[in-house]
Amino acid sequence: MTEMEPREAEIDSLLRRSMAAPVPRLPLDFDERLMREVRRSSQPLDRYRRILLTGYGLTSVVTSAAVMRGQGLGWGAISVMILGPLALVAAARWARRATYTTMRHGAK
Amino acid sequence: MESDSQLVARAQRGDQQAFAELVRRHSAPVFRLAVSILGQEFIPEAEDVAQEVFLKVHHAIESFRGEAEFSSWIYRITFNQAVNLKARVRFRSPHADETVLYRAVSPEPGPHRQAETAQRDQALAECIRTLPEVYQSALRLYYWLDAGVGEVAELLGVPENTAKSYLHRARQLLHGMLKERGYSYD
Repeated sequence: MTEMEPREAEIDSLLRRSMAAPVPRLPLDFDERLMREVRRSSQPLDRYRRILLTGYGLTSVVTSAAVMRGQGLGWGAISVMILGPLALVAAARWARRATYTTMRHGAK
Repeated sequence: MESDSQLVARAQRGDQQAFAELVRRHSAPVFRLAVSILGQEFIPEAEDVAQEVFLKVHHAIESFRGEAEFSSWIYRITFNQAVNLKARVRFRSPHADETVLYRAVSPEPGPHRQAETAQRDQALAECIRTLPEVYQSALRLYYWLDAGVGEVAELLGVPENTAKSYLHRARQLLHGMLKERGYSYD
């Protein structure tokens, strides 16, 4: 560290005294447990679950579009009603990520 | 010894041994970063964050293009994951009060002096919690987890000079806050 002015050196020594505590460590079997979890999550069952979910999503979209079309709505309105919520979810995720990026850089 | 990028390439081809080696290399720093964000009160949660980060990385490793270092990528994921969790657990009772843990290793003579120290440490802990996340993390890494400035910089994904300025600015802010509360610390 570069040389500190006396005022900063005082708070530095206070922080050293006040924050001294045992340093936590990961349990010794952490890596092993994690790898078991990794193997479990990459089992075919999980892949099937994802495929099933995607299939369900696509079926919902097609069914909704067919029902709305049956009610006389135009393709434009149908697209907005289906893609709108998806765009909102994407925008919310993007905004959340942007907020954290700003938080990190704002502190510089 | 294989580099991270060689291990990543093998892990992208589905080699679990390579991924296990990446976990072995990076689990400790990932946990330290998570702990530095969550604080002393949420150490078990920091372990959960470390686990979630590696599961996320495993799912997303195919999309890693190697434009940045693997370590920078994983630390960025850890930072975001821990900050997200912190926002969720903020209003939950902590497992242990931070100042109680500090006092456990720094006994002071005399009950009056001990009470004064405890009060000041409590005020300091409260002030630290009001600082921006990166300052809090830098302080905990440096003063609690014994990280050097280089490690602070690496984990927070900033140059060393920026890490130094985080610590400098955090100390300045804490000095002002404690002074405002009427605490002296000489």
